[in-house]
Amino acid sequence: MNRAAAAAFPAARVALPAWRRRLRFTQLGRWYVALTIGIGLAAINTGNNLLFLVLGLLLSSIVVSGLLSETSLRAVRVERRLPASASVGAPALVGLSVRNGKPRAPSVGLALREKGGDTLGQGLLLLLGAGRTEEISYRFTPQRRGLHRFEQLELATRAPFGLFEKSRDLDAPGELVVFPRRVPPPAQEPRQLAREGERSTGRPGQGLEVHALRDHRPGEDVRSIHWRSSARAGKLIGIDREEERRRQVCVVLDHRRASGAALEAAVERAAALFERALDSGADVSLALCGDHLPAGSGERHRLAGLTLLALLEAAAPGAPAPAPESFASVLEVVP
Amino acid sequence: MRAAIRGTSLLGAQRWAGSLTLAAAFAACAVSGELGATLLVLFPVALLGAPVLQRHLRGRYDWMWTAFLGLGLVVQAAQVVGGRLDAVLAAAQFAVLLAVHRLWHRRGRRDEHLLLLLSLLLLCAGAALSAELLFGVCFLLYSVVATWALSLTWLRFEIEDARSPEQAAALLHGRRLVTPAVLGALAGLALVGLLGSAAIFIAFPRVTIGGLRRASSAIPIAGLGDQIDLSRHGVIADDPRVVLRVRLDPAPSGVEELPMHWRGRALEVWTGRGWRARADERGGGFWLAALPGLRVAAARRSAAPLIADIEAVSGFSDGIVLTPEGWPTNVSFQRPLAARASATRLVRAANGDLLYAPVEIGDLHYVVRTERAAPALDELRGKGRRYPPEAAASLEVPAEVDARVRDLSQRLAGGKDPVDAAAAVERWLSRSLSYTRELAGEQKDPIAHFLFESRRGHCELFSSAMVVLLRLAGIPARNVTGYYGGVHSSAGYWAVRAGDAHSWVEVYVPGAGFVPFDPTPPSGRGGVDRGAWSGLVLAWDGLAQRWRAFVVDYDLLSQQRTLLQLGRTLREAGRRLSAARPGAPELRAALGQVALGAALLALLAAVWRRVRRRSRPRAARLDPDQRRAQWLWRRARERLERGGVALPPALSPREVIRWTAERRPQAAPAVEQLASAVLAARWGGFELPAGRARELLRELRRRLGSRR
Repeated sequence: MNRAAAAAFPAARVALPAWRRRLRFTQLGRWYVALTIGIGLAAINTGNNLLFLVLGLLLSSIVVSGLLSETSLRAVRVERRLPASASVGAPALVGLSVRNGKPRAPSVGLALREKGGDTLGQGLLLLLGAGRTEEISYRFTPQRRGLHRFEQLELATRAPFGLFEKSRDLDAPGELVVFPRRVPPPAQEPRQLAREGERSTGRPGQGLEVHALRDHRPGEDVRSIHWRSSARAGKLIGIDREEERRRQVCVVLDHRRASGAALEAAVERAAALFERALDSGADVSLALCGDHLPAGSGERHRLAGLTLLALLEAAAPGAPAPAPESFASVLEVVP
Repeated sequence: MRAAIRGTSLLGAQRWAGSLTLAAAFAACAVSGELGATLLVLFPVALLGAPVLQRHLRGRYDWMWTAFLGLGLVVQAAQVVGGRLDAVLAAAQFAVLLAVHRLWHRRGRRDEHLLLLLSLLLLCAGAALSAELLFGVCFLLYSVVATWALSLTWLRFEIEDARSPEQAAALLHGRRLVTPAVLGALAGLALVGLLGSAAIFIAFPRVTIGGLRRASSAIPIAGLGDQIDLSRHGVIADDPRVVLRVRLDPAPSGVEELPMHWRGRALEVWTGRGWRARADERGGGFWLAALPGLRVAAARRSAAPLIADIEAVSGFSDGIVLTPEGWPTNVSFQRPLAARASATRLVRAANGDLLYAPVEIGDLHYVVRTERAAPALDELRGKGRRYPPEAAASLEVPAEVDARVRDLSQRLAGGKDPVDAAAAVERWLSRSLSYTRELAGEQKDPIAHFLFESRRGHCELFSSAMVVLLRLAGIPARNVTGYYGGVHSSAGYWAVRAGDAHSWVEVYVPGAGFVPFDPTPPSGRGGVDRGAWSGLVLAWDGLAQRWRAFVVDYDLLSQQRTLLQLGRTLREAGRRLSAARPGAPELRAALGQVALGAALLALLAAVWRRVRRRSRPRAARLDPDQRRAQWLWRRARERLERGGVALPPALSPREVIRWTAERRPQAAPAVEQLASAVLAARWGGFELPAGRARELLRELRRRLGSRR
């Protein structure tokens, strides 16, 4: 399982103490409080009871606002769901599953923001009923390859009046490996057949090509009978087929003298070649300076190779040269 | 099934709520009557025309607006500096101009916030300008609509910030967010805010600095005039507006309407068309006249003091101190009702009328003590006809008097003792003539017309006729105006209304001063309107009085009293509930019954809600296969939960397949098969036999049991 998938469901279930809240004034809130203070002073100065009444309304609105925002934030749990894969420059959806654990009170106007990690993103949930779970997502477009860390989620609300923003932090660590940007691979020989990656080895095996004919052995699979020869010979003739082996391709990237944009371009080309070779059905290996991915195929192998390329850094001085397999076709990327 | 759309769009609701907030704040400011006619017309027009004008004015003529507002600011400031305009009023007027400008240029967040803040400023200006109950009504309205406006404005801009323009537009113009239920909930929130406001209002320490108070300003006066014109015609309309609020000590018992004359002023000079007050109004000094000898003797025999706590509503008292029946012995002015009123002092006119100064102070609160013990008629007889100079004005006879009037005077009063003559004239008038509120109209001699032709008239004609008849007989008499009656209000006071205006007669008796006589038949005295409108006005006045008592006049002493009373109530409640006290078991039983009643009510409410929910249109009935699919899906979820696959409540069947594949891959094929069968039966019209359902469930259990 790749790191991205592994980081997909580390639930943010750490309940912080109730006193850990952050309170910020909105612009309207600043004016509102300033006016409240002014009206309070005017009321005390003049002794006008109607001003005291207005002051009471303003102060009680502040109290009601504080109580409701606290209710909205309380007993809310959030899980972050990271995408299985993401590439530089391609928008990815990050899901946030929000659960209101309160049995009766709904939560209103919940804003969720990434905090402390490598990414910025936010989502808004207008209403979360009591005991309900809702999912929201935000779109984020990675600007670099490699490891992206997610640390905390800030759960904030300005409900019900937008005068203040009360927020709390939820620990929700996670990691996402962003693969290199998807670019078109360099031109190569035209694709011939869908099965071009497989070729005969000249040895008996389980391939498609006929290796030899022989007498049918009892108990053998009837599919191994060569019916036409059996009809001619008047007895059951069996087939030995040739062993087929996948084409071996090794993508070689010597990045000892590459850095910056040149390295990025080389990594993107290597990733494109790696994926194209896998798509063509070959067993593909990766040979890098000081690192090597053995030949393989399939989705897991694709993720492993792209992860290796995503995390590739400039080679240290004196790093060994890439060592491709001798039997494999070599596709070398020159930075 | 698609939910019914019944709300309004968020954008529309937010804008309307903002406009209503501003309107409520403007009304709170306008009830003071000081904003001026121009603004009173301009603002409603600007508010109603804003949706149209916004489209035409947006982004145009900005320089003109800036110049206009700048000019307005300069003019207002100059008037304030020059002392021609009150600073608070100037600020309120400028805030209205700013609000109009913003209403016509409402674009984004800044404008909406500014409108809300301006509305708050206008509300504060209203609090400074007016103490009327109408302000309280506007304040209540404001608290509700401002809660809507604040919440919806927040919601609007939260959506605009967090969503793409297309998504935001869909939400803002959709009708699902702002429903009657949401508005109701917000109104409930406003109610909570109001309760908090009341608590803060009661508990906030009333320590005042007292600087920078508003100066007093003129208030238009109307009401007790200084003359009577008998040539008016038409019908006297009854006016249910409250003029006086009176609390009496001793309080009258067993009566709903008070048979009491409230003396205003004496009108002694005949004008040819009616009566007017003497010119030397303020020549009596600053103290009350001493009790005449006969009255002193009567008071010694049986003192009957009456103390009347009177609130005279501004606009009706016209500088006159109204007094109840009896001889006033003391008048003390109470703390001014309005914060901007100045100290009040008493002035006695030469004819004994009581006046106050300054006149333009708004509502007036004073306490009058009178001595009601009056000498009997026998004691008043035989006091001779030697009258002092101040009674001379009450002897002047109109230049041209109808001979029939002279004859009548002679017939009724000739040769009699003045007191007997007065009693005879009073009796004859009230018994021989009838009362009507219809005014006869222009007459050359209204008194003669009343006495000999129409023989019907209103109180002014009765009193005028008596005065003329007595003066013709050489007895000093004068017309007195004031009010008669009083209706008991639920707020605990006697309300004297403008329609209770009345006119009667005072006759001078040596040794006793002026003695009142009322020739108007008792059925015609005071107001006659007892209809719904009159009741409504009285109820409104009761509310206004409570508003004044509990809100406007709430001071440090009231606060102390309230808190002490609260403490006493709590202590008393605790004491009564304690087991040691006799009667506590009964009280506890009563409380238990109340609790039981509340529980029964709650139960009834729950049953009602359930019945209501059941009576709602239900979803289409499910066929057996669909019901089986529902059952199967519930059981499958339970099995998965028991098998260690925790499912969030909102997952769809397809999501459950994916969810299971990630956590228990070996069970995924069984879940997929089951979910497909469920979806096909529930929504696709396929059959789902019971055997097949059980088989799918068994397969799931088998897969979950396997640990491969």
